[in-house]
Amino acid sequence: MIAEEPRIDATKVTELAQALEAELARLIVGQKELVRDTVIALIAGGHVLLEGVPGLGKTVLVRSLGQVLSMSFARVQFTPDLMPADIVGTNVIGETDGRREFRYQAGPLFANLVLADEINRATPKTQSALLEAMQERTVTVGTQTRSLPSPFFVLATQNPIELEGTYPLPEAQLDRFFFKILVPFPSEHDLLEIARRTTGESTPQLEPVADGGAVLAAQRIAREVPIAEHVLAYAARVIAATHPDRSELDSVRRYVRWGASPRGMQTLVLAGKVRALLEGRYNVAFDDLNAVARPALRHRIFLQFEAEADGITTDRLISELLEHTVKEPARD
Amino acid sequence: MNSLETILRQLRRAAARARAASYAVHGLVAAGAWIAAVLVIARLVPFERRAEVAAIGVPVAAALVVLAWSLRRPSAPLLMALADIRLGLKERLSTAWERRAEAGPMDGALRQDALRHAAGASLVRAFPVRVNRGEASLVAVLTIFALGLAVLPNPMDRVLAQRQADRASQARAAKVVTDAQKKVAASDKPNPQVEKILQDTQAKIREAASPRKALESITPAEQQLQRLTDPGTPALNSSAQNLANALSGTAAGRGAAQAISSSPAKGAQAVRDLASQLQTLSPKDREELAKALAKASQQAQNAPMRDSLSKAASSLQSGDTSAAAQSLNDVASQLDSLQAQQNTDQAVASAINGLEAARQELAAQADRDAKGQAANGTAGASASASASASASGNGNGNGTGNGTGNGTGNGNGNGNGNGNGNGTGTGGGSTGGTGGTGSQGSGTGSGSGASSTERVYVPGQPVPGQSENDPTPLGPGQDVPLSPFSQVIQAYQQAALDATDQSLIPGSERDLVRQYFSQLGEQTQGAR
Repeated sequence: MIAEEPRIDATKVTELAQALEAELARLIVGQKELVRDTVIALIAGGHVLLEGVPGLGKTVLVRSLGQVLSMSFARVQFTPDLMPADIVGTNVIGETDGRREFRYQAGPLFANLVLADEINRATPKTQSALLEAMQERTVTVGTQTRSLPSPFFVLATQNPIELEGTYPLPEAQLDRFFFKILVPFPSEHDLLEIARRTTGESTPQLEPVADGGAVLAAQRIAREVPIAEHVLAYAARVIAATHPDRSELDSVRRYVRWGASPRGMQTLVLAGKVRALLEGRYNVAFDDLNAVARPALRHRIFLQFEAEADGITTDRLISELLEHTVKEPARD
Repeated sequence: MNSLETILRQLRRAAARARAASYAVHGLVAAGAWIAAVLVIARLVPFERRAEVAAIGVPVAAALVVLAWSLRRPSAPLLMALADIRLGLKERLSTAWERRAEAGPMDGALRQDALRHAAGASLVRAFPVRVNRGEASLVAVLTIFALGLAVLPNPMDRVLAQRQADRASQARAAKVVTDAQKKVAASDKPNPQVEKILQDTQAKIREAASPRKALESITPAEQQLQRLTDPGTPALNSSAQNLANALSGTAAGRGAAQAISSSPAKGAQAVRDLASQLQTLSPKDREELAKALAKASQQAQNAPMRDSLSKAASSLQSGDTSAAAQSLNDVASQLDSLQAQQNTDQAVASAINGLEAARQELAAQADRDAKGQAANGTAGASASASASASASGNGNGNGTGNGTGNGTGNGNGNGNGNGNGNGTGTGGGSTGGTGGTGSQGSGTGSGSGASSTERVYVPGQPVPGQSENDPTPLGPGQDVPLSPFSQVIQAYQQAALDATDQSLIPGSERDLVRQYFSQLGEQTQGAR
């Protein structure tokens, strides 16, 4: 028997998630799935693209997240005239001891939590400035590359309507986002609660419940969650099934232009691990993968024009392929 | 708390039970399908031992099922994964089993978690003993179908019974031939040629496809045997008897006469003795002996014997005893030859008797087969059919044999039938040396589809009980008395065959008569 490594207290992750969810729930009414997915992405160390019509609380959620986490928070309002230097920083001339020299002025990306509000309103040039930051967690200005603080999260929002004057995110940019979360319109009951909480004399003030260290520890723990081979194989089958040339589903072959990337597989598994922990388990189940499949894959599956014409959404395709992908391991 | 191994054992047992039930149903389906298939085939083609072949399907299916059941045991990871899915254990068992030897940071907690949840679940429920409803229905259908096939009359049974009867008949016929062969072999002077012919014939009879085919091997065998006999034997025998009669009146030749009468072999020895004693005979005795020899020479029908006797008589009369002795020795040699020929004839007769007995056996069976085929030739529920067979035989002596067969039926429809009959005849020759042979008979069978109300009438013979001088009163529109054609043709055939049986007509000729009536029957059938 191999000697067991020092046991990790996985309950800390669960407690962290519960604390975050509970604190956010004080301000965010309903939207439990939205909050759960955001927390999963946070613990998995991934960036989130929130999509929803204006007024649904996207910005409030991110701002609230900045409040409940004792981490630096920066908000960047993306506009068409926003330049890359405006977010990554730039070298400015400064005078030190009577000597003028270029000094790097860090941009808003140098924060633990960055809110890229209405990211699709910036030009592709500026959007691309985020690529390195989101993937490599570094920023290169001139010839110098600087590391971003850790943990580093980008939570971007975009509006699916008012598309005039916007620049849809390119596929490469979309793939950098761990999750794409659709912010649903609240129920009538939630609307009432929102009105009660936010139109009174005072709004709830959120308290920090965790710091960057706790989040980093949770990220490390989450990666230790084991996943069985046949569950992993299921994840691979799901990813493969999103590709029209490999899928057995007619709808995928007909409507999908390009399927999910290997980064989608990584996302699926990692998010599954986090969800397993949040469910109080120490292993990844099929249910975990299914639960995170939509936010993990919906922005990684690119549809044909025919799909839009027929009203086919990626969520519908994902549901279909989850339904048809075999879970049982092959008989040996 | 159970260990993962304990859980695995429980799952294995449960899975084995569930799979056993499933495979048992598979086996029942396979066995049922096999039995049904065998029974269906047995209704389409003659299938001997179908019960055994059908029954073999049960143990074979059981063995295959057990083999498949033991070979296709699910692996431990598969059992765990299936249990996870079916018991809602969220892949705890399968992950814990997969990492049972790992010592990662979470493996201990994972195992504890898996065991805790497994303890709260009924593992047996992961592999319930269930029978596929479709398969169970299929088993029921197959069982009913097979039972129906087994219980309902099988039209092939008659064919099989006929085959068995054919084989039994051929075996009996072959045994008769074998007995004849043993008899020949056990005689004082066994004849290898006869034995060989009999041996070949019994093998052909045994291997023949049907009694009819077996019959075809008998006539050639008899012809072969006949070729072994010498046509000059009766003449030689007669000459020998005349010699004995002539010598019996002489003092010197009386002993030789008795010996010749006793047997040609003894006669030959006595004649040789007489030849050696010629010089010691008195002139009177020589004179007397020469006259007897001359008389015998005159009466001899066999040319060599006549010549030898003539030379002996003339030599003796001229006093040339040495020449006379030489001629008498020639006579003795011819008597030896006669003895050898008689031996051969006896063996041939015995063999032919055996072959005739076999022929009777085979002919009777072929006749029964012909009747059966004629009956099978009917078409429709009430079609009529008739078959008849007759046979006769004769031999060199007196031989008789006959066989008849007929079948009648009435109804509507059409039908055809064929029948064959064989007849044999046996007899003993006047000298007892040869047996008669009967030729192979043949029979006819016919099927008719005439309506039960439609009968063919021909101007024919008087109705039984009436004489030709007292004709039947004619009905309206009739100018001659009418008899059914079938009765007339049968009556003619029977009369013709009886006539041939009572006369010395060779079997082949009688076959011609029989064939004529057969063709006549077929033509009539065709005309209808």
